[in-house]
Formats: sequence, structure tokens, C-alpha cells
Amino acid sequence: MRSSTLRDLLILLAIGAVLFAGGYFLVRQIGKSDIDLSYEVSIKQEEQLGDLFKDMIENKYTTIKDNKADSALQQITQRLIKALDSTKYRYEFTLLRSEEINAFTIPGANIYVFSGLMQLAETPEEVAAVLAHEIGHAEKRHVVSKMMKELSITAIVSVLSGGDPSVLTQVLKEIIGTSFDRKQEEEADVFALELLEKAGIAPKSLGRFFERLNEKDLDYNKNLEILMTHPHNDKRIEQSRRYKTKNDFKPVPFDMDWKKVQESL
Amino acid sequence: MEFHPLPQPDEIAEREKEDAMGAYLMMFAAVAVGLPLPIINLIAAIVYYYVNRKKSRFIHFHCLQSLLSQIPTTLINWVVVIWAVRIFLTDLTLNETFWAAVVFAGASTFLYFIVSIIAAYKARQGKMYYFLFFGKIAYEVAYRVKPEDENPSEPINKPPF
Repeated sequence: MRSSTLRDLLILLAIGAVLFAGGYFLVRQIGKSDIDLSYEVSIKQEEQLGDLFKDMIENKYTTIKDNKADSALQQITQRLIKALDSTKYRYEFTLLRSEEINAFTIPGANIYVFSGLMQLAETPEEVAAVLAHEIGHAEKRHVVSKMMKELSITAIVSVLSGGDPSVLTQVLKEIIGTSFDRKQEEEADVFALELLEKAGIAPKSLGRFFERLNEKDLDYNKNLEILMTHPHNDKRIEQSRRYKTKNDFKPVPFDMDWKKVQESL
Repeated sequence: MEFHPLPQPDEIAEREKEDAMGAYLMMFAAVAVGLPLPIINLIAAIVYYYVNRKKSRFIHFHCLQSLLSQIPTTLINWVVVIWAVRIFLTDLTLNETFWAAVVFAGASTFLYFIVSIIAAYKARQGKMYYFLFFGKIAYEVAYRVKPEDENPSEPINKPPF
């Protein structure tokens, strides 16, 4: 090959490399701007929003308090919260009476669990895994980020300034009814696996819960939108199975009779 | 290495100029037909090349340049299409590298379209237009003096006397 032809080839490859690097940089910038959206809403504003939604949710559903299931939930969540290195939030977990198999997080780290989910889980560790995943969404500020994508900042400000109740309903619908994107689900999964290990709970429990959903052949979109954005969960189950815990990791079982907890629901 | 002299625009017949331009323009129609599978353009370019290459060296050069220069963009687009199908079927992650590849494929195809339009315009005027790398290869193949050009083989059709 002539030297000038070879030089042309090198120039062409260099142009290709520059285009690819440019594409990568562009994609990263877009990705960053997505994440940054959540910082337009402060933690304090998030908590204010959470308070507004709490009333609406608790008017719509019956909360389960002061029984075996509620104390079991609190026991599970205390273990998880203790394992968090640091957090900006004051977590609140509430059990709602509903056959739906669901758990969701609203702004201000208020996490709701439906009794249907507690009934489906075969162990408290599985509930802990789902909650660790929800804590992941709260810590990574996915709820606010999702809200910012779906709604304008004007709508959020309008809600905060005690505005139109119809806007409030719409925002709540967006929070509960729409899914997180796959990247956010993966981030929450990774967060959950690490948190479970720190809390002395087998990280495999997350995969086991997904498997249980697969076995039951449940309609993901209908029943567990918050957890499932995509029907192919095999990768997520595999990720949980393959998660490497530290060599000295020993799971500490919860001190509760899970069957009796379920019977109390 | 010897090369045949390059014809000047006024020495090239109108029909030759049109056929040379067609090598680039045909690709646009083929891309539109072939979407989302970027292969029809390459097949069309191969067919166009084999049908027209013997017409003249000027047409041979432009057809070959068009054909060769389509190979990298076609490959890049194929990689992206196969990657996207795999993501859809096997739950791979839509990561930043994938999106960078999509941007890269889009930008390369756009650049390629631009230079192809310029080449088509020049070909219509009876001018040479050399793409980086592919232009030189096409020139070598189309204009290099081959042994058979210097020693033409025995003619098959001969006069009766």
C-alpha cells in the first residue's frame, strides 16, 4: 500500500475515533443532565411534597397499625436503616391493606408496602430485599428525578405552594403509576444488594422474590410497576445470585414467626 | 506502476457522467428501501458496479469508490442494529457505549451522505473526486495499466478477409 493511502487510512480511523469519542461525551453529558434534574428540588421541598401525598394515600387506603405485621415491618426496616452509612432522610414505612403486590416510595423517603406483598413473600428477608430496593430509589433520588421528567418544575412549585388539588392527584398518579427507567432499577438493585449484606440479610433474597413473582406468573406491569420495568427479570435474578458477599458474611435470621405475621394480615 | 491518463470533463460523454453520478445517487434510494436493515444499499452498489464497470474507466472509478466507501458505514450500522436487537431480546443494558455507538453510526452516515452528494455533483460535471483512502484505491484499480491493456488478447471476431 502506498504511504499516502496508508496516511489516508490513518486519518479516516482518527476521524472515526473522534466521532465515537464525541458521541460518548455527548451521551454522558445527556446522562448527567438527567441526574442533575433531581437537584432542582431540595430535600426539604421533597419532604413537603411527601407530607402532602401522605394524606392523600392514607385517605385512599387503610393503614395497618399496631398489629403483628406492622411490628414485623418495623423490625425489618430498623435493621435496614441501621445498616445505612448515612442518610439525609427520615424514613417512614407504612403498611397498607390491599391485595396488590406492590411497594412504592413517595418523595421524602416515605415508603409504602401493600399487605399483598407481605402475603406473597415467603420470608421476612424477601420483604427486606424489596424494601432495600425502595430505599435505593429514595437514596438515589429517583422519585424526584422521575417526577422532574414527567412533570414541569412549575407543576411541582404549584403543588408546594398549596395549589390545585387536581395537580396534586396528577403528580401522585405519576409517582405511583409510572415506572422507573431500567438504569434506575439497576442502580436500586445494586444499592439493595449492598445494603442487604451490610444488614446481615442474604442478598440472594432479592432474586428469590423476583423468582417467586416469575413462578406465580404475575402480571408485572399491573402488580409491581415500581419494581418491574421490564418483563425479562432473569438478568436481575442472576445478578442477585452472583452477588459476592464478603468471606466472613453470615446472614442473621429475623426473630419472628413469619407464618403468624402473615396470618395477622 | 503506470496509469492511464485521466480524461478531462469535455472528453467524457454525457451518458458516462450520468452513470458515474448514478453510482452515488442510487445509494440514497437503496438506503431508504433497506431501512432499518442497512444491507440493500451495499447489494445495490455491488450490482451497479458489476453492471457498469466495463463502460469506461471514469464510470468504473466512481462505481468502485461508491461501493468501497459504503462498506464501513454499512458495517457500523449493522453492528448497531444487531446490538439493539440483542438488547431487545436478551435484556442487555442500554448503556452509554451503546448510545455512543448510535451517535457514532448516525454521524458517520451523515458525513458519508454529505461526501456522496459532493461526489455525485462532481461526477455529473465529469470531474474526479477522491474520498480519503477509498479514492486512491478506486483510482488504482480503475486506472492502473494492466498487462492485458498493453498486450490485447487475440480478437474473437475477425473480418472475413
